Amino acid sequence: MPATEVTRGGGKAVSVRLGTTGLNKSYGTVQANRNVSLAVAPQEIHAVVGENGAGKTTLMRILQGIEQPDSGEILVDNEPCRFSGPREAFAAGIGMIHQEFMLAPDLTLIENLVLGDEPVKTPIARIDWNAARASGDALSAQAGIRIDWDRRAGTTPVHIQQYVEIIRLLRRGTRVLIMDEPTSVLAPQQVEDLFRLLRHLREGGTTILFISHKLREVMALADQVTVMRRGEVTFSRSVGETDMAEVASHVVAGEFDHEDPVFEKRRKSKHDRSVLEVDALCAPPIERSHPLRGINLTVGTGEIVGLAGVAGNGQSELVECLVGLREPSSGRIQLKDRDITHATIKVRRAGGMGYVSADRRHEGLALDVSIEINATAGSLRAPPICKGVAIDPAALRQTAAERLSRLDVRFGSLRDAVRSLSGGNQQRTVFARETAQDPTLLIVSQPTRGVDLKGIAAIHSILADIRMEGGSVLLVSEELDEIIALSDRIYVIADGRIVGEVPRERADVATIGRMMLAGNGDLHAA
Amino acid sequence: MLREATKALRAAGEAWLERGFALAFPFIAALVVASLVLLVIGKNPLEVFTLMAVEAFGSSSRFAATMSAATPLLFTGVATAICFRAGVFNVGVEGAFIVGGLGAAFIGFALPATLGPMLIPLGFALAVAASTFWLAVPGYLLARYEIEEVVTTLMLNFVALGVTGYLVNGPLLSEKTGNNVTPLIHESAELARLIPPSTLHAGFLLGLAVVAGYGFWVRRTPAGIENAIVGRNRRFARAIGISIPGTIILVMVISGFVSGLGGASHALGQLHRFAEGFSPGYGFTGMAVALLGRNTAFGILFGAILFGALASAGTTVQLFSDIPLDIVNIIEGTVMIFAVVELGRITLFRRRAVS
Repeated sequence: MPATEVTRGGGKAVSVRLGTTGLNKSYGTVQANRNVSLAVAPQEIHAVVGENGAGKTTLMRILQGIEQPDSGEILVDNEPCRFSGPREAFAAGIGMIHQEFMLAPDLTLIENLVLGDEPVKTPIARIDWNAARASGDALSAQAGIRIDWDRRAGTTPVHIQQYVEIIRLLRRGTRVLIMDEPTSVLAPQQVEDLFRLLRHLREGGTTILFISHKLREVMALADQVTVMRRGEVTFSRSVGETDMAEVASHVVAGEFDHEDPVFEKRRKSKHDRSVLEVDALCAPPIERSHPLRGINLTVGTGEIVGLAGVAGNGQSELVECLVGLREPSSGRIQLKDRDITHATIKVRRAGGMGYVSADRRHEGLALDVSIEINATAGSLRAPPICKGVAIDPAALRQTAAERLSRLDVRFGSLRDAVRSLSGGNQQRTVFARETAQDPTLLIVSQPTRGVDLKGIAAIHSILADIRMEGGSVLLVSEELDEIIALSDRIYVIADGRIVGEVPRERADVATIGRMMLAGNGDLHAA
Repeated sequence: MLREATKALRAAGEAWLERGFALAFPFIAALVVASLVLLVIGKNPLEVFTLMAVEAFGSSSRFAATMSAATPLLFTGVATAICFRAGVFNVGVEGAFIVGGLGAAFIGFALPATLGPMLIPLGFALAVAASTFWLAVPGYLLARYEIEEVVTTLMLNFVALGVTGYLVNGPLLSEKTGNNVTPLIHESAELARLIPPSTLHAGFLLGLAVVAGYGFWVRRTPAGIENAIVGRNRRFARAIGISIPGTIILVMVISGFVSGLGGASHALGQLHRFAEGFSPGYGFTGMAVALLGRNTAFGILFGAILFGALASAGTTVQLFSDIPLDIVNIIEGTVMIFAVVELGRITLFRRRAVS
């Protein structure tokens, strides 16, 4: 076997520095990784792209030894190996930089650099700061940067913190750097600097694997790009042999055929009057979120309106403003004939607004609370559940059971924590609650994220039914095919603005994908 | 059908067992630790525990003493639990209890005796007003400005001690009896004794009513259930339209109200005056009671009686034997520690949770 002759870092006969073959991983009924094979060559910058929930994070967690695959193998230097924990992966030279930086804010950069692996001459000696500094300087010189090691991490700009994290990993023997969305916190100029640094490291022998949403950056930096979709690798090509449009088409590729039952239910919608009117809505960015720069949109009666866009272009901020979780800075939101721009959530809900949150586990449900309360929360103060001042437990149970059976939620006991349900049933519980009182407008964000295929079909048919009964839906999703399959009209959002509106007759992946990317490009051309 | 029914029955049984075990676990663990200590110092644990049980429940007078010691804990336990279950870490029940006690005592001795039994409702009214205000302030600061309630309520305890300590050593000092106490309240302001000569008084019945009311609040009122939702998941609660600031202020106000009832009952029923050292930490023991009782009405009742029994047994056990009082403190301390640890549930029922 030639692999036995391979020396670490020598890379003589190594064709795969880090990879997987036939990797499978399921969480309950959701298959997060399906037969995933990945090959990252030595000294390669390899990008993994895909929508949220495509399985990228699961794959990275497996490569780091945090999760164990159900089947399949991890390859390091062409050889299959097993990581029973993150420590072993780290020892094999695999280091990860997270989206949230992990430096201790009250320590200086040099203290952070050596934290956990301090240079000492004997086990109980003082830390040899000169040695620490020397190793830090040597590594930063190697990377082509200079760092003021005496600054406190908390007061250091984020891009410098990122450098320190990278050097920290290199110092501890990392040969493969995994980075999750490395540019998400950086300004455009800093992105350029980071790319220069990463290319420099590549020349020095480091292999880099990074996750990204931003295709323009992927094309600019990566040597090889791999696309994941619904848990599978659907495309992998050298960057020189492909272009952005081809990659984009694989990221958002449709898998719903147009014989979908949802389409048979479709009738010509007659949106004579609008249910939701949003006029020049602006919201300031809070922390790292995206500002809204004057959003205009309308949703009519009996209409499903889709909002398409690359993740992180203002969708969640818009949704939060609409449902009342975030205060807009200017503009106007009107629900039917009522100005609700500054109304409380309670008032909005009483006015007929329903909300299916993208974050089912933290915002859509209270996981540790019983199924019956999750299905009825928000309706506890009114009859039939509340009689006088007291809740009628029988009526509560009956209301919950009726709501859940209407959407065919399978559960053991109403008293069980909602955590015990599968992802699909959890999401149906959310829909059961939010649609129970026939909302005039249902705002739905990422409704099928983390839901298995059967659950997805069920949720799509719920949305189609709402529309059939004259209800209105604003559908926000990163699944472009989902938006196209369900929507009467589609808005495209990019950089906090609506950059296009497409009627369903003209909606196809190519047209909308182009609009999404055009907007995204503007952002980073600056 | 039959199989399903038995399965449901078994599940219900297991749920009860689980709950009962979770409640009793800290107490059992404490007894084990205390046994070890007793064995080391050469005492027979069984004898000691028997003696303690007899001293706590062995006769109607000892039983009354236990219930009397449990009375303030019923109030402070509920006052704490109502905040904890909404995720509001109010540790200021001690201060509110003290302030309420002084308010009630003040009415009891300062107003003319001719008011007769009217003094009792008036005393309760001032106590409740003072205590409610006392906790409404940190509640408002938390709700409106997100100022940490742990810090404000903890600090307010010291303010309460300082202010009441000053008053009973100055303007409100009794002229007849030495130091640190107010004059005795008028006889007509005293709460009725239930089993004379024991000090058990009508405040105990009020405490039971408060616990029962709390049980109703928790299970049967929309606000009570919504509070628990806020405690479990604030983001979810907010998204379905529950006002978080409103919830915070509500539970702090109720907590103050209940603390005031407790302080008044202790002043008018037990001490018949206000004195420095009015509360030997009833507010803090109330936290242990709430934790031990897992914020349930039944659990609070159980916890208050347990701590009441330890207190009443502790005082007499050392009179009749050479067992040091410290063993009671050891049991109390261990109960508190294990009440915080959910060890019992985690280890014993993990298998079921996975399947």
